[in-house]
This record gives sequence, C-alpha cells and structure tokens, in this order.
Amino acid sequence: MDLILECRSLCFAYNGDNILNDISFKAEAGSFCAVLGRNGSGKTTLIHCLNKILTPVSGQILIHDKDIASFSRNDIAREISLVPQEHLDIFPYKVIDVIVMGRAPFLKIAASPDENDYEIAVNALKELNAENLAEKNFNRISGGERQITLLARALAQATKIMLLDEPTNHLDFNNQYHLLSSIKNLCRSKGLSIIASMHDPNMAAIFADDVIMIKDGNIMVQGSTESVMIQKNISKLYDTDTSEININTTKKFFLPNYIIKDC
Amino acid sequence: MKLFFTSKGLIYLLSAALIVAFIVAGISGRVNISFSEIFTMLLNFYYGLESKGELLSKELVFFWIRLPRCVMAILVGSSLAVSGAVYQALFRNPLVSPNILGVSAGCTFGAALGLALPFQSFALVHVMSFMFGILAVSMSVSLAKVIAIKPVIVLVLAGMVVLSFFNALLMILKYFSDPFEALPSIIFWVMGSLSRVTWDNVLVMGIFALIGIILFITLRFRLNILSLGDIQAKSLGMDPSVFRIILITASSFMVAASVATCGQISWIGLIIPHMARTLVGPKHERMIPVTALMGGLFLLIADSVARSISSAEIPVGIITALTGAPIFGYLMFKNRGSGWI
Repeated sequence: MDLILECRSLCFAYNGDNILNDISFKAEAGSFCAVLGRNGSGKTTLIHCLNKILTPVSGQILIHDKDIASFSRNDIAREISLVPQEHLDIFPYKVIDVIVMGRAPFLKIAASPDENDYEIAVNALKELNAENLAEKNFNRISGGERQITLLARALAQATKIMLLDEPTNHLDFNNQYHLLSSIKNLCRSKGLSIIASMHDPNMAAIFADDVIMIKDGNIMVQGSTESVMIQKNISKLYDTDTSEININTTKKFFLPNYIIKDC
Repeated sequence: MKLFFTSKGLIYLLSAALIVAFIVAGISGRVNISFSEIFTMLLNFYYGLESKGELLSKELVFFWIRLPRCVMAILVGSSLAVSGAVYQALFRNPLVSPNILGVSAGCTFGAALGLALPFQSFALVHVMSFMFGILAVSMSVSLAKVIAIKPVIVLVLAGMVVLSFFNALLMILKYFSDPFEALPSIIFWVMGSLSRVTWDNVLVMGIFALIGIILFITLRFRLNILSLGDIQAKSLGMDPSVFRIILITASSFMVAASVATCGQISWIGLIIPHMARTLVGPKHERMIPVTALMGGLFLLIADSVARSISSAEIPVGIITALTGAPIFGYLMFKNRGSGWI
C-alpha cells in the first residue's frame, strides 16, 4: 500500500495541560481510518493538528515523507482537506459558492474562481449525486445536505488526504449511513486517505479499515478494524461494560451491558 | 431563491446614478449655480480666462467649497461602506460597523481634545483625531493579541473595552470644557458634517480611500473564505490572523481619515453593505464594488440634502441616521429567513 501520511510522536498541550501524548500512526492511500474516543479525549485536537490548524508542541507530521512543519498553509491545503464539524451560519452563500471556495489553495491571492473552478465544483457535487443543491442557500438546507456540501468542497480541493471531524454529527439515522457510504466509495475509487474522528464505534466497525482508539490523550490501541474492534477494547475505551452482538460472521454490533439488561 | 441583479448591470446603473447625482449636487445648494454657469466656469478655467462679478463669487463657491465637498462625500461614503463590509466579513456578524474596534471613539476623543485646546487650529484637530483613532484600534488589537484565545470574539470584546474607555475620556473632556466655546463645537463635530472640507482633506482622504478600496477589491475572494471562520479559512490554505491585521489596518486608516475630517457619520458602514448584499448576494467579488458605489452615492445625496434643505445647514449625521434606521429595518424584514439575520 502507498503510504501518504505519517504522524510521529505528536504531542499537543494547551495552557500547560497535555491534550495529546506521543501519538504515532500511518495512513495509506485508499484506506479509511477512524479515530475513536470519549468526549474530550482529544479526537478533534488530533484532526486539527494534522493539517496545522493547531501547532503541536513536539512531533512530526509527514506527507510523502516530507515534514509539513516547513510547508506554508497553502501548501498544506493542497495536500489535506478538512470537512469541519461546525455548521455556523455564515452569509447566505449559494451551495456552489461554498464548494468553489475549495479551489482557494490553487488560486493566486488576488484571483477569483473562474469557469474552470466552477466546473470542478459542479463535478464534485455530481460525484455525490447532489447537483440539485447547487443553487440553494447554504443556510437553508438540511444538516445532511450541508455535510454533503462540505464534503464536495473537500473534493473540489482535490487533495489525497481528507480529514473529517465527526462527519455524522447532526445527521438522521439514514443520512449517517448514506454519507459514510459515499465517503467510503470516494476513498476506494479515488485512492483517498481518509482520517475521520467518529462518535459511534458501530459506524467505525462498519466503514473503517483501521481504527485508532484515543483515551486521555494517549493511543490506547490501534490496528485493523477486525483486530481492534473487540468487546474488551470498546469497554475500556468508553469506561463501560459492553457486549458484542454478532449480526453475521463478519459484522458485529456493540451495546453497553446496562442497556442490554434493561431490555 | 431570489434572483439577484446581474452585478455588471447594477455597477453601470450605479455609476450613471453617481454621475447624475454629482451634477445635481453641483448645481444645488444655498448659492444658486446653474448648469450653464458651471459650463462657462469650466470653459473659463480651461482657457485661463477670469470670471467677472457675480460669476467670480460663484466660481469661488463652486471650486473651493462645493466641488471638494461633493468629492469628499463620495470618498467618505465609499470608505465607510466598504470598511463596514470588510468588518462584517471578518467578524462574521451583521451588526458590526467599522466603529467596533473603537476607531470612531478614538477619533472623536482626539478631535474633542483638539477643539478644547486654547489655540484653535483645524489642522491640529484633524491630526489629533486621526492619531487617536489609530491609537484606539491599536489598543484593541494589542489587547486581543495578549489574551490570544478565540481571536474574533476577544477582538470584539477588546474593542468594547477600548471604545468605552475613550467614550469615558470624551465625557470627562465635555464635562470640563467651556460650555460657550468648546462644548458646542465638540457636540456639532460629533454629529458629523462635511462643511469646511478643503482640497487638502480631499487629497489625504483620496489616498487612503483609493488604497483601501483597491486592496479590498483585490482580496475580494479571500473575504468569502475569511467569513467562514478561522478553522475553515486555515484548512483552505489561508492565514486568517495575517489577513485580519492587513484588513483592519486598511479599514482603520480609511475610517480614521473620514472621521478626522467629517466627524461621526453613522449608519453608512452598517446599512450599505446590507443593501448591497440584498441586491447582488453575499459574494464579495460582487458586493464590494457595489458597496463602494452605493456608499459614495448615499453620502453624496445625504450631504446635498443636509446643505440644501434649509437656510442653516443640518449635520449630515442626522440625515444618515434618520434615513438609515428605517432602511435597516426594512432590510431586516426583507432578508428574514435567509439564515443570517
């Protein structure tokens, strides 16, 4: 497999508090890596360190064996895109205008996007089967549609690495599966390296190739989904006893024990 | 989705309106100067001939009072409006006007200090006003820099601190100043007026306005990205703090130059960007040029009304506030549900 991103003993501290300690992992082309952990465990911080939105205290992040410490923000944005978690209301931009902003790293500072950039933006929407959104007001579409828009923007950014910060937040039951399926397809068809922080271990079990479990800022365990996603690890990660429910020979499902008892 | 004007068509329309308004403003006022007289004056000026009698006094009024004043109105209106647009994008907030970091409060205090001094000099008042305006913004930015978390919100709060501080200083000054000489001039100055504008003022303002407007038009697409907030701007390859400093500096110089010569002219920085956004949409590629034109047009008309409507001049700040408030109310109604207001 083609190694794209490597994180070497990354540490991050904020106001003297250690948030992340000695995080090391590798991400390959065409693979989906899920980052799991409790609230406040440092998932989002890790995602933000990877594209230098936050500056780590120590450690290195390498893209194709080059340390990004020497990269400009623009250089990084040509390699790594981010689908952010927040959906703050902004000016009532059209969806297509939000997506075309993904072309920013390729434009000169004084330039505006041209027809070619808009074509790339439309194609990104087409790839997600959502051309109908193009002319809509970003503030007036549903949470799922916004997430699709931000995913399309990341596609328009045409990077090999895509970071997602809790992509299924605010999405309804079906939209969660729908969005993650789309992401998984892109990951395979375009050979993207995807790193996504996720709330739900069951979603990670279905879609991820690799899993990194973060507990109190340290990597508790990491590895392929089959090897890592076991009852013992899930219980330890979320500080609650869980049971494994086998759906079939390959797919399984985790639930806290106290819920099962109540049933 | 509502249909926006084509921005090119609107720019032509506004440019034409600006030219017409400029001509109308040139012939209207307390001294009656007809269109043909202006034409004669311009011919005389071109051929180096001297005007005689009544025409000479009209020529003085036209070239040395009315013309610089009209040009100034356009420059100040455009500057306040585009600064407002830039601040609203930077702070991602529709209620932000260029005064948020205390530039106007600083300018007003500086001017009041100049007016309260025993030796009256308008040049000194302008300079002090400008310096204190820039000082106020520098204080806000430095305070936010020291706090160094959540940059946008902290900047707004730091601006409030500095603004209140300079307002308090202004009150002290008013309280102790001579109620017959200094106090009325301070109060009149605060209301804003374009009377007493000279060509020198126009030149200074013109330089700041031109640099600022060119800079904002250059960075028009980057403003869209900055308006998404710091995290997204960074992930799209921009350094928001660098752009913030550049844009705040440019706007502060524009606004300080405006307030230092013309006093506080309220509402333009708040309503004109909203009007432009309603007409051409929120993309800064389109709305910045439209905002600049509309701001210039609005203040030119407001100032012409202020100096022509009665025999005594009304401070233009009153006209802008009086028309601005209902316009803003209407825009809030019209844009309801766009997800922003």
